[in-house]
Amino acid sequence: MEEKLVETRNIHKWFGKVHALAGVDLEVGYDEIVGLVGDNGAGKSTLIKVLIGYHEPDRGEIYFEGKRVNFASPADARKMGIEVVYQDQALAPDMSISRNVFMGKEPTGSLGFLDRRKMDTESMKALERIGLHLRSPDVAVATLSGGQKQGVAIARVLYFRAKLVILDEPTIALSIKEARQVLKFVENLKEERISVIFITHNLYHIFPIADRFVVLSHGKKVGDLRKESTSIDKLSELIVSG
Amino acid sequence: MSGKKVARSSRGRLSPIDFLFHYEFTVHFLIFVSLILIFAILSPGHYFISPKNIQDFLALAPEFSIIVLGVGMLMICGEFDLSIGSIIAFDAYIMVRLFEITGNLFLAGFAALGVGVLLGLLNGLITVKGKIPSFITTLGTMMLWRGLVYLLTGGYSIPFTPETSPSFSNIFVGEIGPVPVQIVWFTIFGLILLMLLHLHKFGNWVFATGNNKEGARAMGINTDMTKIICFAIVGLLSAFVAITISVHHRTFYALMGQFYELKAIAASVVGGTSLFGGIGSMPGIILGALIIPLIENGLILLRIEYYWVYIFYGLIIISFTILSRYMEKKRLEEI
Repeated sequence: MEEKLVETRNIHKWFGKVHALAGVDLEVGYDEIVGLVGDNGAGKSTLIKVLIGYHEPDRGEIYFEGKRVNFASPADARKMGIEVVYQDQALAPDMSISRNVFMGKEPTGSLGFLDRRKMDTESMKALERIGLHLRSPDVAVATLSGGQKQGVAIARVLYFRAKLVILDEPTIALSIKEARQVLKFVENLKEERISVIFITHNLYHIFPIADRFVVLSHGKKVGDLRKESTSIDKLSELIVSG
Repeated sequence: MSGKKVARSSRGRLSPIDFLFHYEFTVHFLIFVSLILIFAILSPGHYFISPKNIQDFLALAPEFSIIVLGVGMLMICGEFDLSIGSIIAFDAYIMVRLFEITGNLFLAGFAALGVGVLLGLLNGLITVKGKIPSFITTLGTMMLWRGLVYLLTGGYSIPFTPETSPSFSNIFVGEIGPVPVQIVWFTIFGLILLMLLHLHKFGNWVFATGNNKEGARAMGINTDMTKIICFAIVGLLSAFVAITISVHHRTFYALMGQFYELKAIAASVVGGTSLFGGIGSMPGIILGALIIPLIENGLILLRIEYYWVYIFYGLIIISFTILSRYMEKKRLEEI
């Protein structure tokens, strides 16, 4: 069987009496964009939190690059190349793009002084790679549009060689133009041989760019479909009735 | 990029944060210069810019300004320290008593510095590990150390004779030619913290922690350690100032450092530091640290009743904060 990038097998998670995840098998292949969809409370966020080591699963295993893994914290997952881009993008609004891209991983010369030339050129290059063209690495992130901010966050995980990028509702609250921009960034990630899990409510956004869809409902997987074999209406139906 | 000029320092471009604040820094610098001109013109006999007054100013102002450097950086990190005045008093007490007991000024001085750092660390640890707003933590420690000082001294002053060791005294209150060494220390500390904040990775952590703490943590920055270090720096600078004041005035008095905490916050705000954290610059803080004593000096020379100074502080904090917000709004609109 072809090796998958990520596999979760039979993941269960309880919060008190609430059975948040009831035996979820999730697979993500290499160079694949997977749309993780489902209604509110379906378990999408919980599944991701288990995957990145924020929560420990009560039952089940996780495999990464074919090997069994046990993440004690999101930091462990990051070391393996799993990155999450949160809705607020973990960006500092009043700091420049280059300082944000290298936040926590600043390139330094001697004694820990910043290599600002490297920060500036590398951050611009990373943005270019996903197709975001900005004039200067010096502008504060707060001056960017919503779509551009997502771009900076995505470029950041790309630069630090993520293998799997998880995007949590990246197009929510974005204008149509900005959303399309972000979708283009995500496609560029795939071209960079990075797999993506794209969590969203908006089927219209994810449908054009995803390779596969995983539908969750009440903590269970109710659908795992390749794009060719389904449609937005069918997915919608699954989400609601599943 | 909007058509603003970028000032380039000889060491190369200043950090991106400075870039944003060059626009604001210019305004602050203009205010600084205007104040000097106003006081120079209005003071009787233009005493304000007489060599004697300038020298006195350069010797005395750092007794306050040095602390602002640390307080400003702590505010950028997103925290406050209301206990600095009490740390000064407690520290000075420790030094003076140790000197009484051991007769060794250098020992007493080192101990004082050590105690300052420890008290700063304590503020940091309680705030961070106890998850208590620093405002409250340091309100508590402010009262604790001041209370302890009163308890131990009964409110009496203690005379201090540092002149028995000129080598020690000269470190803190000597002169290099006509230049008081205090302003040299201010410059040294200012430069060190400028480099730390704007050119070092630690500075990036300070800004990130203040601007988006959860985001910084998600990116792997140890925000707890960053804050604790900032508190420790404030403690160290408080101790330094405590020693300087004691040596200069040759006494310990229980009211030392009173109101420093509010003045330091005012000075930082004047320098463009946001009360919400994440925004500020060391050049601005350095200016603010000088503007406050400058205003006090000017008002005294103009024979204006001292209480007006507090009205000025209030007006300054409010108007500078409004000015900063206004300029930020304009900046965002332009781009």
